[in-house]
Amino acid sequence: MADHLGVHRSGLTMPVVTPRFIDNAWRRGCDFINMDLEDSVPQHLKGYARTLIKGAIANVTKGGAEAFTRINHDLILADLEGIIWPGLSKVNYPKAEYAEEIQTLDRIISRLERERGIRPGTVEIGANIETSVGVANAYDIAAASPRVREFGGAGGYDMSRDLGVEMFVGFDQFVYGKGEVELAARALGLEPHTAPFTANTTGSVGDPDRAFREAEAARKCGFRVGGGLHPNVVEPQIKGFTPTEEEVEEAHKVLDEYRELEVFGKTWAETDGQIIDRYEAARARKLLDWSAACAVRDQEKAEAVARVEQAGE
Amino acid sequence: MAAPQSNTDVVLLDLVEFVAEKDKPSAREGLTETIRQVGESGVDVFTLIDSELLYADLHSCVCPELTGVVVSHLETVAQVEEADKLIGQLEDERGIPPGTLEIVVSLDTAKANQDAFEIASASTRISGLTLGRAELVMDLRPEPSGEIHLMQYLMQKLITVAGAIGVPGYGAWWRSPDRGLLATPENTFEAAFRGRAIGFKGSFCVLENQVAPLNQGFTPGAKEVEEASKLLEAYQAAVSPGTASIRQGDRIIDFGTALQAQALIDRAAACEAYDNAKVDALAGRPVPAP
Repeated sequence: MADHLGVHRSGLTMPVVTPRFIDNAWRRGCDFINMDLEDSVPQHLKGYARTLIKGAIANVTKGGAEAFTRINHDLILADLEGIIWPGLSKVNYPKAEYAEEIQTLDRIISRLERERGIRPGTVEIGANIETSVGVANAYDIAAASPRVREFGGAGGYDMSRDLGVEMFVGFDQFVYGKGEVELAARALGLEPHTAPFTANTTGSVGDPDRAFREAEAARKCGFRVGGGLHPNVVEPQIKGFTPTEEEVEEAHKVLDEYRELEVFGKTWAETDGQIIDRYEAARARKLLDWSAACAVRDQEKAEAVARVEQAGE
Repeated sequence: MAAPQSNTDVVLLDLVEFVAEKDKPSAREGLTETIRQVGESGVDVFTLIDSELLYADLHSCVCPELTGVVVSHLETVAQVEEADKLIGQLEDERGIPPGTLEIVVSLDTAKANQDAFEIASASTRISGLTLGRAELVMDLRPEPSGEIHLMQYLMQKLITVAGAIGVPGYGAWWRSPDRGLLATPENTFEAAFRGRAIGFKGSFCVLENQVAPLNQGFTPGAKEVEEASKLLEAYQAAVSPGTASIRQGDRIIDFGTALQAQALIDRAAACEAYDNAKVDALAGRPVPAP
């Protein structure tokens, strides 16, 4: 897993051209807001949309969320010139297909960071795999820039259209592609942005129960990155991706027992049907780190919201 | 020494997983003597060694009675080449014909699986591939379905790569709550049965009571052999110049199907021959004094 512990449990993707979404974004409690220039923005507003990002960054981040922007695959230079401003954390690049694309993004972002007084390397690149070509080149794409820290894809609407497969079915139609992408992420030590398969045959995006179940299943598989389209899913995702008190307690217990094992020079033991060994110890340490990072993030957001409210908004 | 009595085909002497770091030097001492003793019962003896401790581990175990090594946490072609070279030197020094010792690669990290084909092609000694304890090394956990996350992809990738270089893939299709080669005998049988169905040829285990279920799961059953024999007989009787396929009930039997049936029969015969050899070897052992 990644050394860089970003906390991106929940985030809303919204068209930057819709003021009521952008103006209310800070109230949603998200870890990030993904301002969209791509599919949710009509073609004739593309130029206008990118001029809005600079002003919107402060607006969407005042509740403590990070600001991301999804750019257009074919409008890299114009979009980046419009959006790389202090306060932006990540550029999401859709339909990534070749390592060279990511290297180009990296070069332009590096220049703009220098020109605009942003610490070099601040802006992450989300290289999203959404096509067959992207799957075929997944490892090279993920390795193309140190700005790629979370890596995933190979599912969703664009992928199903590209492959010509059904989107809402009761089985996992993306086993191979998702496997390739996740293995690449793991091999490079990046945070895999994926989730175990759960059937969604309706295409629902706003069901909070479903969002919680999916996030919880993803957390139990070791995944930490969420995101969605509807405000209803924010809180369930945060809850689902955050370790429970019982899990934290259990992790402490595992580490205590493991330390004891080490004292006696043993490699494993079984207590109450649970194995304790170095793998469980590593898992417990990871869970505690993640739990602490979530707590810090929640605190930051609560303080940010309190500041806004104090200022009388 | 209980291992040979368990009717296992292979004994894997572990220097990696179940030996504490501070006990490794003492575990290496006298290892060749243990290998000799275990080997007397007719099983193949392997050692599980650490790719980061190749020198110490290999020096402690290379001897004429050793069949090969399983190298865990192996991630690069360079490591395979290093292991190959070191084994070659030790074969030379210890009077073993060159190229005798086998390497089974444990592809248990993400990087290893990413570069599986290159790694597996890096030495002619490589005689098998396994995912080892990848689920633990890579921290893969159960999905709501009970499948262990990513394992179906990794198993298929491993079996495909193994097929491409012409060696067996070792492993079983474990499901939750089985963990790190720990499972009940019943679940072990199921894992072996499913494992054989997707192309594994055998599996490692850690408990003595898992040996019989693995042997059973990986050996074609009498009924399967009988069906395959019937199919083959029918095919051979009916096929004639100018005909490549026949109908049998609801099925079309062609050359490929017949080959597959023959492979199953051969596999069953090989399993039986190996079991008989083990019985002979065990019978030939001196009876220990009461």
